[in-house]
Amino acid sequence: MKKRLYLELENCIGCRSCLAACTQCGGHEERNRNYVYDVNPLVNRQTMPLMCLHCVNPACARSCPAQAIQIHETGAVLSALVEKCIGCQNCTIACPYGIPKFDTEQNLMYKCDLCIDRTKDGIPPMCASVCPSNTLQWLTDEEIEAKQKQFNLDNGKWVTSMPYLEGETNVRVNLPGILQGVTKLF
Amino acid sequence: MQRDKFFKEIENVIHPNETLVKTHCSYCGMQCGMNLRVNTKTNKIIGVEPRYDWPVTVGKMCPKGVTAYQQTNHDDRILKPLIRDDASLKGTKEGFREATWDEAYSLIAKKFGELQDKYGKDTLSVFSGVSMTNEKCYLTGKFARVALQTRYIDYNGRFCMSSAAGGFLRSFGVDRGSTLPWTDLHETDCLFIAGSNTAECHPTSMFRVWAVQERGGYLIVADPRETPIARRADVHLDLRPGTDLALANGILNLLIQNGHADAEFVNNHTNGFEETKELVKEFTPEYTSEITGVAPEKIIRAAEIYGKAPNAVVMFARGIEQQHKGVDNVSAYTNMALVTGKIGRPKSGVATFTGQGNGQGGREHGQKSDLLPGYRKITNPKHVEEVCQVWGITPEEMPQPGVSAYEMFELMEQKTIRAMYLLCSNPAVSAPNLNFVRKAMKGLDFMVCADFYLSESAEFADVILPTVTWSEDEGTVTNLEGRIIKINKAQEPLGESKPDWQIQAELAEYLGRGKYFSHLKTARDVADEFRLASKGGYADYYGATWDKIDKQDGVFWPCKDEKDEGTPHMFLDKKFYHPDGKAKICALPYRPPAEEPCEEYPLRLTTGRVVYHYLSGNQTRRIQFLRDMCPEPYVEVHPVTAAKYNIEHEEYVRLFTRRGEAEYKVKITEAIRKDTVFVPYHFGHDKSINLLTIAALDPMSRMPEFKACAAQIEKLELKKVQ
Ligand code: SF4
Ligand code: SF4
Ligand code: SF4
Ligand code: SF4
Repeated sequence: MKKRLYLELENCIGCRSCLAACTQCGGHEERNRNYVYDVNPLVNRQTMPLMCLHCVNPACARSCPAQAIQIHETGAVLSALVEKCIGCQNCTIACPYGIPKFDTEQNLMYKCDLCIDRTKDGIPPMCASVCPSNTLQWLTDEEIEAKQKQFNLDNGKWVTSMPYLEGETNVRVNLPGILQGVTKLF
Repeated sequence: MQRDKFFKEIENVIHPNETLVKTHCSYCGMQCGMNLRVNTKTNKIIGVEPRYDWPVTVGKMCPKGVTAYQQTNHDDRILKPLIRDDASLKGTKEGFREATWDEAYSLIAKKFGELQDKYGKDTLSVFSGVSMTNEKCYLTGKFARVALQTRYIDYNGRFCMSSAAGGFLRSFGVDRGSTLPWTDLHETDCLFIAGSNTAECHPTSMFRVWAVQERGGYLIVADPRETPIARRADVHLDLRPGTDLALANGILNLLIQNGHADAEFVNNHTNGFEETKELVKEFTPEYTSEITGVAPEKIIRAAEIYGKAPNAVVMFARGIEQQHKGVDNVSAYTNMALVTGKIGRPKSGVATFTGQGNGQGGREHGQKSDLLPGYRKITNPKHVEEVCQVWGITPEEMPQPGVSAYEMFELMEQKTIRAMYLLCSNPAVSAPNLNFVRKAMKGLDFMVCADFYLSESAEFADVILPTVTWSEDEGTVTNLEGRIIKINKAQEPLGESKPDWQIQAELAEYLGRGKYFSHLKTARDVADEFRLASKGGYADYYGATWDKIDKQDGVFWPCKDEKDEGTPHMFLDKKFYHPDGKAKICALPYRPPAEEPCEEYPLRLTTGRVVYHYLSGNQTRRIQFLRDMCPEPYVEVHPVTAAKYNIEHEEYVRLFTRRGEAEYKVKITEAIRKDTVFVPYHFGHDKSINLLTIAALDPMSRMPEFKACAAQIEKLELKKVQ
């Protein structure tokens, strides 16, 4: 059964376990490929992860003059192929979220590969495995649909992959505010 | 058994030439399940893989857990015994030379012997900790009383769990940190959480906490700071540090006034209701608000929600416990459950978030100055008799009760105690009023420190004995639920390091007490003796065999025999552990913090943890990722307060109290009260906030008041000019 990375931004507690876990994935050379931001640092403790959304038609790959960014059959947009990447950083500029990172020493881009050595076999990525708050989850489409029904948001922006950004994404995102539609038990 | 909706069958990734060893995290009381990745060629731990099949945490870990494996083969490991001949270098890292185990043991035996000949047996002391297995905790108690024959043993739980223990003993007659398993939490209707920065200190509880809200349940958080969990609370009771007792009394008063008391439960299963009802009458929302600084509407709303909730769990942590009325705070919040009868059934109850990995088990088996294995009392002749039989000594040989952790430093100052054997703790960072404590340690005639890194406390030692990390030994720990679980060995000890139980057994030989220890050749030998020693005590571990722990995903104590599956839910039969079977509702008059703000020291200083560090930071400050995330302490200040002092974000200021001072970087945030400043305590030397904290001790638990004292800030004019 196909599973996807699913983000519930409201849950994030800023522990950055997802960053620590990303360093642990096979082939990641102990460098993390994701980000966590303080949303309003001088005001409150809200944080949110910024992850590659694995766009269906990814700007990063389209912008790459060397075709170094491959798309896996699962839809995962992979890290640059070492032998092809020319270090131009077009991808970082093209990505609406600035996801691809750059190794200046090796003159090489590296980005989230959706932990392809795990997800190709249906095993959850490291970040979604450890995330203590369930901000990052690894769910089937049915489970995601149930979430969509459960959190009936009034702003109609259930998924961030808005047409004016990047179009459809493989990762699904639930914006902050999920609790506003919840009916209280008593 | 406790597999719930979060549990999924997921395979693990196993890389070529690797094997996985199932175990648990080395750090906090959550004891998250994890797999250690071990290279089968080098037989070394090289990484971590989630343990999806652990029912409590289903693969989740905080960043400390993810990087915990990096402790074991760390460059800073002490690989051989170290001796320092020049005592004038005490208090520094300098002057240590490598030695053989034989030389180190011989020197310790000689020095301890000389001191005891001159000043009596009780001139020695043992200062221990509970971030280690039950087996080690158990043997440390025996080591102090049988091998060293001293009355002075105590442990760092006095800075952690002793108030919870005292409060539960008074309210329930038994001290099990949680009356229900964690796998119930997400199914309750209301979580009332006081003084717990859960998202940072017990992060892997958070998916269950959020799930309560997702179901339409409520979250109430009492904390002077808007912590990440308070941010999303339905009601945030933003109280002044050190005023919990008033808040708890105020809410109890409203619960009774609003008719939420369960008369049948109160009559049949509790004592003390009428007296308590009278006492809390005074705590109207207005009066409670005056003391706590929390708006009356919030107090009313919180009481209404908790009162109406069909099921509710009251939870708390060090925020309420590390006060000089910590025990009263625990009993006062526990009153809420006892008066409303929301206890002794699934999805309802009371729990404390145990701080250290084995904070629960480690306090039950005889490291506390007045306790023996199985939660027996050293002042109870029958209990002493039972333990003597296992230990092979006569009751006359059993030392008297000692004193609490902080009081041991006072006795060192007074030269009643002249030597210390320190293990599994770093009081040079974690004790309060550090100028005094460090001086006391420096003044010792002789000090031994068993640790795997050279901690700030080890800098005061004459001899350092290299111990192993958690993953180079095996044994059990008891997590924050009261569930006994198994820590497994993933690698052979690095260098010449040895597990504490082995060091103590070998040292006993040099001390001429070998016959009481020489049969303990493996961790399992210690486990077998320990289970026997706990048998018949109320923290009975006899039936919790390693096989059963493995088969059942842990065993909740009490577990009396082979057939007993353990006790996930306490008090299901509504029987409490006081002789009459009833729980005690406690009438507790309010007392303010020991040191209230004044003109000279107008701010309230409170301390705590960050998600990246554990306790004194001796372990986590050495892990690159964690250090990068939080390299130094800071002082959190509200912008309004900052403006008053004319200080800015990231500027360094001098923070001081009547006891000490330190310089910290300012972190401006609106997520803290205007009258309060906060500093995390994980840092050593001149960065320790405990240089400033107060050693006002709780009369029952002897817990220092880390959470509230009076402080002042001073702008550093010079630095600003630079
Ligand atoms: S692990 Fe989860 S909760 Fe922690 S920072 Fe990452 S997304 Fe947020
Ligand atoms: S989010 Fe950015 S990096 Fe990820 S696939 Fe889309 S364009 Fe590429
Ligand atoms: S999916 Fe894997 S590679 Fe991508 S951010 Fe998560 S852990 Fe890193
Ligand atoms: S420190 Fe605590 S919450 Fe974090 S992984 Fe370890 S046991 Fe789990």
